[in-house]
Amino acid sequence: MASFRAFLNSPVGPKTTHFWGPVANWGFVVAGLVDMQKPPEMISGNMTAAMCIYSALFMRFAWMVQPRNYLLLACHASNESVQLYQLSRWGRAQGYLSEKKDEASSQ
Amino acid sequence: MSASKLQALWNHPAGPKTIHFWAPTFKWGISIANIADFSKPPEKLSYPQQIAVTATGIIWSRYSTVITPKNWNLFSVNVAMAGTGLYQLGRKIRHDYLSDAEPAVAKE
Repeated sequence: MASFRAFLNSPVGPKTTHFWGPVANWGFVVAGLVDMQKPPEMISGNMTAAMCIYSALFMRFAWMVQPRNYLLLACHASNESVQLYQLSRWGRAQGYLSEKKDEASSQ
Repeated sequence: MSASKLQALWNHPAGPKTIHFWAPTFKWGISIANIADFSKPPEKLSYPQQIAVTATGIIWSRYSTVITPKNWNLFSVNVAMAGTGLYQLGRKIRHDYLSDAEPAVAKE
């Protein structure tokens, strides 16, 4: 219990904004996981590519910010994985990742 | 603008040599991507993703005004995110519930 109480009172704990901001960002991960079940035609290439760059930058930000924010780091590492996977699904559906050129579908 | 002022900005602890500048700056990419998607048909928009964009935008807008120091760049980018997310949600809800078109979830 002592470590839990220490977490509650920590500078990145649930009484601080350093906690709830990252919690909000987990919404992107959940949304990405839900969208993995949908057909790839529904994936937005723009948004997914932006998310991949965004989460890569914020992983670095979470590491360098004071105090170091491991929750934010974990959130963006997860989002990076989910969004890269979605990007690959989108790319495959667009025909970018296939060998045969005539299979490329136009958006 | 004098050279030393530019130098001061360049060397600022949250300046363009640091992640504290580029991460919030790049966050604009999400809103720009969403604006590019304004022209997408509403059937192709994702409720979970737009809700995540809107909710993140609203929560971070609030929190960027209570951190020290207040970060207006972070505030403005999150206000924009909430705005584009709300607009996209409005488009999709209007299409699914307020028009005669069939709400299409699967591919056509």
